[in-house]
Amino acid sequence: MMKGLLIKDFRLMKTQKNFFLIIIAIAVFMSIASSDSSFVIGFLGCIGSIFTLSSISYDEFDNGNAFLFSLPITRKTYVLEKYSFGLIVACTSWLFGTVINMIFSLFKNTATLNEILLTALLVLPIIILLLSVMIPFQLKFGGEKGRIAILGAVGIVAVIGVIIVKIADLLHIDLEALLNNLTTLSIGMILIIALLASLLIMLLSIRISISIMKKKDF
Amino acid sequence: MMLKIEHLQKKYDKFTLNCSLEIGPGYVTGLIGQNGAGKSTTFKAILGLISFDSGTISILGKDLRDFKAKDKQKLGVVLSDSGFSGYLTIKDIIPVLDSLYDEFDKSFFLKQIQRFQLPIDKKIKDFSTGMKVKLKVLVAISHNAKLLILDEPTAGLDVIARDELLEMLREFMEQNEDHSILISSHISSDLETLCDDIYMIHDGEILVHEDTDVLLSSYALLKVDENQYAKLDKQYILRSKNESYGYSCLTNQKQFYIDNYPEIAIEKGSIDELITMMIRGDK
Repeated sequence: MMKGLLIKDFRLMKTQKNFFLIIIAIAVFMSIASSDSSFVIGFLGCIGSIFTLSSISYDEFDNGNAFLFSLPITRKTYVLEKYSFGLIVACTSWLFGTVINMIFSLFKNTATLNEILLTALLVLPIIILLLSVMIPFQLKFGGEKGRIAILGAVGIVAVIGVIIVKIADLLHIDLEALLNNLTTLSIGMILIIALLASLLIMLLSIRISISIMKKKDF
Repeated sequence: MMLKIEHLQKKYDKFTLNCSLEIGPGYVTGLIGQNGAGKSTTFKAILGLISFDSGTISILGKDLRDFKAKDKQKLGVVLSDSGFSGYLTIKDIIPVLDSLYDEFDKSFFLKQIQRFQLPIDKKIKDFSTGMKVKLKVLVAISHNAKLLILDEPTAGLDVIARDELLEMLREFMEQNEDHSILISSHISSDLETLCDDIYMIHDGEILVHEDTDVLLSSYALLKVDENQYAKLDKQYILRSKNESYGYSCLTNQKQFYIDNYPEIAIEKGSIDELITMMIRGDK
């Protein structure tokens, strides 16, 4: 059943192919212009995860959800499909960004293969985290309101970050030293922890999204 | 029973739905009411799209709570204000239907698309109203559904498109004697040639439930002056209304008045007129 929904979302994505081409053009152009092209990985990964949000908007548009949920699917399937779609598109763009980065680094000799892979693997949990935060908001508030809510959430996270830094300052805890200590852990360990943590957050996010959808009237 | 609704209640701020109805196998049942009478709310409750306050709904022999995604395979649904995204084309939705429905009949679907000359590569949002509705109905009848639930499929159609639509539904009924349809409209003349029985809904309440034959043969409007009205036996009068010439009265026992008051003008009245009378007339 989920396959049907995935096909629908990919077909809808096809109607936005111009947008997609522009994004890729920007990514390539910026890779040419800048000396460090590693940002392409993050850039494409994040843009890719936005497609799942726009697929939710498409579903809501013209009251489309009422018909969608009269089809032989459950609300849970719908939610799982959105996360799957998000992961597929975001990870594909992420992979694409990594390949672009490798190609440009090869020509410009700016970064080693190891450095690129490291950057790519660090971006992956961020993408998962991004999806986990954005999807429940989009499902709960929908369309424009959802986007504002997401911006608000990002703002709140930033404020919390600043507060943590300030508090650490007041308590004379040296965050930088702490982070430096962290890096003495093996980098592989950090990546695994980050990946596991982001996946755990995604599982939690899926549960929240399912309960949001189950409460909805169409 | 294909569908049985008992004392379904849903309260909104200014509107309360209170509805019971049932559809037997092989029946085409119409739900007629004005915009805002509660038709769509009833449909949405049946489809599990909204929560409701009390009452029970059983569908294809199962309580709605036990009616799972798999069971929905046997439903064909048309909603007036909702459908596949307008940015998709028919070509896009074929693989979607193919994966959603175990019994999607692709060759039947394609044949019907050709028959009604629906453009396969055009975005649905650019379809005419008639084309959109035909596509919706085709989607509903192309996967071996047992029960069709059609909310206002005839709204906004011209006469030809409406007749083509009714023809599609008749063909669906002929496929299997157990097939059933629940169909709503705010214009009953759209439905009177199709439906076996009709429910009339107003302000969230079912006012009348009759076989279409009975509605057409036994219901009538009596046109009487003040004098005749005073002498009239009113036990079979359902509603009456003040008119310039005296009174217009709705009865469900036409023959009684034909036999006993031969001097009175009796009009057969269309179902729409009967409905207007049920709503506007005094008890």
